[in-house]
Amino acid sequence: MKINWLEKNTFHYSKFKNIKELVDVKEEKRLTISLCLPTLNEEKTIAKEIIIMKSELMTRYPLLDEIIVVDSDSTDKTREIAREYGADVYKASDILPDLEKFKGKGENLWKALYITKGDIIVYLDADIKNIHHRFAYALIGPLIIHDNIKYCKAFYDRPIAISKNKIRPTGGGRVTELMIRPLFSLYFPELTQIIQPLSGEYAGFREIFEKISFPIGYGVETSMILDIYEKWGIDAIAQVDLEKRVHRNQDTKALGKMSFTILKTFCNRIEKLGIIDSREKPGDYMIQYNLVKNRYQPDIYKVEGFERPPIIEIPEYRKKFHPLKNGNEITESVDL
Amino acid sequence: MTKIIPNNRPENYFKKNILSKILDQLPSFVDLIRSIRETIITNIVLIGQIPSPTFKEKRRINFYMERLAEFQVDECTTDGYQNPIGIIRGTSETKPPIFVVAHLDTIFEKDIDHNFTIKENLIIGPGVTDNSVSVGVLLSLPEIIRRLNIRFQSNIVLAGVIQSIGRGNLRGIRHLLKMWPTKIRGAICVEGTKLGKLNYYSDGMTRCEIECFIKATDIWDNKFRPNAILIINDVINQILKLRLPQSPRTKITIGKISGGLKHGTTAYNAKLGFEIHSDSDKMVKSVFNEIKDIVDGISHEFRVELKLKTISNVNASRLNFNHPLVKSASAIIKKLDLKPESEPSETSESDLSIFLSHKIPAVTLGITRGENLNQKNEKAEIDPIFKGIAQVIGVMMAIDNGVCDED
Repeated sequence: MKINWLEKNTFHYSKFKNIKELVDVKEEKRLTISLCLPTLNEEKTIAKEIIIMKSELMTRYPLLDEIIVVDSDSTDKTREIAREYGADVYKASDILPDLEKFKGKGENLWKALYITKGDIIVYLDADIKNIHHRFAYALIGPLIIHDNIKYCKAFYDRPIAISKNKIRPTGGGRVTELMIRPLFSLYFPELTQIIQPLSGEYAGFREIFEKISFPIGYGVETSMILDIYEKWGIDAIAQVDLEKRVHRNQDTKALGKMSFTILKTFCNRIEKLGIIDSREKPGDYMIQYNLVKNRYQPDIYKVEGFERPPIIEIPEYRKKFHPLKNGNEITESVDL
Repeated sequence: MTKIIPNNRPENYFKKNILSKILDQLPSFVDLIRSIRETIITNIVLIGQIPSPTFKEKRRINFYMERLAEFQVDECTTDGYQNPIGIIRGTSETKPPIFVVAHLDTIFEKDIDHNFTIKENLIIGPGVTDNSVSVGVLLSLPEIIRRLNIRFQSNIVLAGVIQSIGRGNLRGIRHLLKMWPTKIRGAICVEGTKLGKLNYYSDGMTRCEIECFIKATDIWDNKFRPNAILIINDVINQILKLRLPQSPRTKITIGKISGGLKHGTTAYNAKLGFEIHSDSDKMVKSVFNEIKDIVDGISHEFRVELKLKTISNVNASRLNFNHPLVKSASAIIKKLDLKPESEPSETSESDLSIFLSHKIPAVTLGITRGENLNQKNEKAEIDPIFKGIAQVIGVMMAIDNGVCDED
């Protein structure tokens, strides 16, 4: 186990504060960078994210080449507002429309690979209340400066909003500490060095993302780490301290559902890797109970655990990003 | 009262054709300013999300400096009182500087959630109109001036001033002007709301507190111990009986009251906060003395401790309506299809009064329209901001063309 990874591949955002320098390296390496914001009813936060990113990382410093919003049929004004402030907005269901349709964050991230143009794709959740452009440039920094790093993940001190206008200084990360880190400790001890494996902010090279499968729901962050680790090793991963991220606090039941989905993804992965051999297929139903009029009633939530295959296996994608060369379709990009 | 009177030949100060040239450019300015709206909004949001209660403005000062340096102003520094200042160098070495100022402090404490929300045409958050919009505009001015391709003869001093409101008592701006080594050509005080505001005079004001405290060990036994709230009530009644003149215009605003411990216990303390406003400093002083007599009388008669304290004060000062700065600012506002409206600042403290009392021609301009002033969900409209900035640039150009200059 490489225990020095934490020291070697952990950065603070301030190391990449000189955005002009990042732009110079980006241009020297002839890279293009896309920012993707997956959305579902984010009208309260989407405008601020787009405005700040566009101002700081496109207008003032051309670090980003495009800002893309991939939306899961929001019923509020998310798409309208995002378009108004200059993002390219897509409904997930309109991308690769011939494929079976699913709804979920992972689905949006996967489909973003088809519509973005960048060599590097930055994924940020669209509900960050204290958004700052460091959320993007700090994830890009390690990727363009260090040749060995292909995937970069955020971590932060996570204050959570406890009431409308009050902030509790620390907290959050319950699913990570109660489930993910114990699981990693059991099966992938090296990965315990990733401070916040479930953070929704990460960036990586297209050549990595296109070769891994994407669960359509909550499990996408876990599967991404496991797949990248298995294929390219921990040295291809970095993490950046973004200091503070204010996010919506979720109740225990919601976290239970999230945990179920992540656990299911995790079990699938370790079975695929031959680490465990379960005799029975894990169930698809998360069952929770509510006390209604003095009687417990089950609340059943189905998680089928669909996954999109590596997008490089989709012919439309190959045609767009790996067109025929000398009559042969390129299916593999450069080895890392 | 300080009065700044132009000489008898306003045409010497300002040639009409220069004003009309400025006016002609304003509509195109609005469009150009709108083209970098993301940067302007970002500046408003990033500065506004840093809590900055009066006396605790350090983080905002640092960000202000850092941001101005990023926008490549020619000089970036703080004065001896820690007011952060950015300077855009002008072409002339002899013309005095033009000041554009906005206060950095807000009424909101640190533990309030300062994260702003942006909706289609609104920025929402504590302190957004008072005064993040204005500070964000100051931070954006270097980039806006570059985009508009304007070169000023005078240095432009972009000053974020600290300790302005409440107990701050305009300490930041007072210190800045007291210590500024050169003459100042003219000044614009920028306020978040309301677009169309054109203030060129400021009331004399004294802000006071009366505190009543009754010790448990006093000569009263508990049964007949006087009630501090009722004592304060008596003070209020007597203040309300004062006859205030219509000329000079004078008023007393009773704005704050607190006291007592619980429902069934005689209150042993109570506090009253109020302001005396008048066109005339003399009248403010005279009303203050009358209130002092009331306080002394009640204190004596009821044998209670009753203290009158002055928290802050501002001298009455003004430009005349026919001052070329006021006239040209008015023309600029009208050119943008807005109606100039003048009123002494509704937020009592005003940087304007300090400029005017130093005999520096100055006006206060509002940037946008807003709602819920001084509440946690303050709202500032986005679209009017671009006209608001265009008028500031127009007035800066007018000052740079000599509107405030004496022969």
